[in-house]
Amino acid sequence: MDYDEQGLGELIEQSEDIQSDAMRASREQFGEIVELGQEARAHGDIDHDQSLAFAEQRSRLMRQSLVGVGAAAGLGAAILALSESAAFAGSPTDIQILQTAASIENIAVATYGVALTLPFIGGASANGVVKAFVTTTRKQHIEHAAAFNSAIKTLGGKPQTKPDPVLLQVVDKAKPTLTSAAKVVALAITLETGAAETYVKDAAALKSVDAKNLTASIMGVEAQHVSILLAVQALLAGGAAADIALPPPLAALPAAAGSVGFPNAFYSTTAARPATEGAIS
Amino acid sequence: MSIHENNNDMGITEAELTSLTADMVDAHHETYPKMRESISQWTELESASIRRAVSRRGFLATASAMIAGGVALATAGPAAASTRGALARVTPDSTAGVPLDVVVAGLAASLENLAVTTYGAALSAAGAGKLGTVPAAIGTFAKTAMSQHADHAAAWNSIIKQVGYKPITAGNPVYAKVVDADFAKVTNIAGVAELALTLEGIAAATYLEAIKALSTPSAIGIAASIQPVEMQHVAILNFVLGKYPVPDAFASLAGAAPVSSASGLAFAKS
Repeated sequence: MDYDEQGLGELIEQSEDIQSDAMRASREQFGEIVELGQEARAHGDIDHDQSLAFAEQRSRLMRQSLVGVGAAAGLGAAILALSESAAFAGSPTDIQILQTAASIENIAVATYGVALTLPFIGGASANGVVKAFVTTTRKQHIEHAAAFNSAIKTLGGKPQTKPDPVLLQVVDKAKPTLTSAAKVVALAITLETGAAETYVKDAAALKSVDAKNLTASIMGVEAQHVSILLAVQALLAGGAAADIALPPPLAALPAAAGSVGFPNAFYSTTAARPATEGAIS
Repeated sequence: MSIHENNNDMGITEAELTSLTADMVDAHHETYPKMRESISQWTELESASIRRAVSRRGFLATASAMIAGGVALATAGPAAASTRGALARVTPDSTAGVPLDVVVAGLAASLENLAVTTYGAALSAAGAGKLGTVPAAIGTFAKTAMSQHADHAAAWNSIIKQVGYKPITAGNPVYAKVVDADFAKVTNIAGVAELALTLEGIAAATYLEAIKALSTPSAIGIAASIQPVEMQHVAILNFVLGKYPVPDAFASLAGAAPVSSASGLAFAKS
């Protein structure tokens, strides 16, 4: 380090001290969901049309879930009563959104798993940085899927363990063509972009505070995956695979390499998957 | 030493990479109509929604604690006192009576402004030869990131103006003081990258917190569309510094700027 970090460190440390209760968004649990419902009810913040539209499905989902997990009668009844109050009007839509998110994560996990079986991604001929990236990214998607499914269960829904059906077709169609690292990277960019853009859209659409926070904590990570994949793609396209290294040979990289990983000032949602695409019907 | 054009002898050429990024630049421009649409929806701020007491515990709890920070730290012993920084000496609150969503927008704009000036200073220092040899890719990174931060600041200021407030054109005074002092000690490009990494991390964490704190859907949408971009800046800076670029499966709130750090901003009705 060439500068004294103490000043910024103090700012960050103080912020962290004060926000010690602001744990990582993915770990906040049921309390805020109840709070959201209570606040929405107190302020009349209920979408009654939506409530009516989803009331039947909500009840069915909740009953199935509670019966399915063999919930204790007292707690189960209490949760069910809450779920059927107007305060939980948005929960079923959130469950569908989260199930789609989990399905996107599942297809990513499966695809990276397939990629690691290919010699130029996970084998002896693979670039070490690319192999490490694919391995680590797959693990991160496993964590995302688990987190989304945990949130789904908290909201009373059924965890989604299957892949997004539309993206599955995309991957199945691409599999026979995965004959080079560049083609794998291109497929990964498609999946990661779809994930990131879906979650950007979801972050604004979700009503559950927990679900919103969780999704927001994941969308940027998917965007980071996209960023690195775009950089790798550009170097592979230019025949500069040897420059995919950590640390990279900065002096050897062309100027455009500095921005290829973050082409837009605002993250688009044009490639977002439909909210119910991966929902359990 | 100025940022140099790198006529490298590697397989990939500047033209090839520029061509690869051209489509992305087009896509970037395509995001603007959607952004304008979101901004136009900001008039929701004038609706009752902004006056609702929705759950914004993170920022609000932080704000309360920060305002009382001097007292709390002063009574907590030497260890706590060591964490006392600029935030405990916030200026008199200029946010009184200003809707929280506007305060958060102003805070965001001020952090973006600070990022713009910091990258600008780095580019100037590089141009003056004060940072040693600066790889061309790093120069492009700084210019592009600076431009994107300017776009972010403009987006926040557009919505601030739409609800009758003057734009926030200055950098966040609390953070600027510290960043300026640190920047003065930077002597090479690695130091700049580390400082930029810290700033980008603060911005990303602040947007994550803002998504929790904001009540207006369009404002949440704007914050959600910017946070991933700041995260991308972080990833590339990590990579540049030889660190694993995506170390965490979940973005963290650690280091988020508290809303109290907006208390010195010039919120005024236009």
